[in-house]
Amino acid sequence: MKKNWKRDDLIVRSLADSYLPIALVLGFYVILHGNISPGGGFQGGVLAASGVLLLYLGYGFRGVATALNMERLHKLEAVGAIAYVLFAMLGIFCGYNFCRNVLFDSGNIGDLWSSGTIALMNYSVGFKVLTGVGFLLLLVIYLLATEPGHEHDNTIPTTEDEEGGESE
Amino acid sequence: MKKLIAAIALILILGIGVYSVVYMEQEIPITYDGRGTDVYELQQDPYDYDLSDPDGVAAIMVKENLAKTQAVNNVTAIVFDFRGYDTLGESFILLIAITGATVILRRGRGRMEGGKK
Repeated sequence: MKKNWKRDDLIVRSLADSYLPIALVLGFYVILHGNISPGGGFQGGVLAASGVLLLYLGYGFRGVATALNMERLHKLEAVGAIAYVLFAMLGIFCGYNFCRNVLFDSGNIGDLWSSGTIALMNYSVGFKVLTGVGFLLLLVIYLLATEPGHEHDNTIPTTEDEEGGESE
Repeated sequence: MKKLIAAIALILILGIGVYSVVYMEQEIPITYDGRGTDVYELQQDPYDYDLSDPDGVAAIMVKENLAKTQAVNNVTAIVFDFRGYDTLGESFILLIAITGATVILRRGRGRMEGGKK
C-alpha cells in the first residue's frame, strides 16, 4: 500500500464527532423499543457497535485504544449471554418450562414494559451483540494497526507521521 | 445383504412419505381459505377498501400474538418468545464465531498486549 494517501484529520474528525452521538442514540433506541417498533436486539446492537468504527475513523488507533477496553468488552459479552439464559430460566423458577413468558401481562399494550421477558431478553441480546461486534471490530482494528508495515510505533500513520517519517 | 437392507429402507421411507401425503390430503383442515380478502377490489379502489381491521392470516397473527404476548412487534415476539431456543443458539453461535476470530487474529492481539507493556 502506498503511503501517499493522506488522512484529512479535521473534516473526518468533525464528521465523526457529529455522527457518533447520532449512531449511539439510534442504536440504543432500536434496542430499547425492540418490542413495540421495528428492529430488535441484533439490529440495534450492530448499529451501536458502528460507533467503534466512527471513533477509529475520527481519532485513529490511539483514540480507540485509549477509549475502549478490549478485555472488558469480551467479558461483558459473556455477561449478556448469561443474562439471556437467566431470563429464559424465569419460567423454570416459576414452575413452567424453559423460555416461558411468565410476566407478559405487566402493562398496557404499547408500553415499554408491556411484554415481560420479551423485552428483557431483547435488552440482553442487544447488549451481547453490541459488545460482541464491538470486540470483533476492535480486534480487526488492532490487527490493522499492528501489521508488519507499521510496527515501528504501533499506530496508524497520521498526517504528522507521514510528514515527519519516511517520504516517497 | 447390505443392498437388500438399503432397498428395504428406501421403500419404507417412500411408503411413509406417500402415506403422509395421502393423510394430509384427507385429514388436515385448510387453515386459510381466502375469506375476507378481496385483492381485486383492493387493487381497483384502494380508498374504498375496509382497512379498519386486519383480515385473513394477518388477523390470526396480530390478534393471537397480542393476546398471548402483548408485544406490538410480531417479529420480536416470535424471535424472543415462540422461538427462544433459536435465539439462544444464534447468540451462542455469535459468541463462538467471535472466539474463533480471536484465535485466527491472535497475532494482532498478542502484539497489542506486548505493546502495552
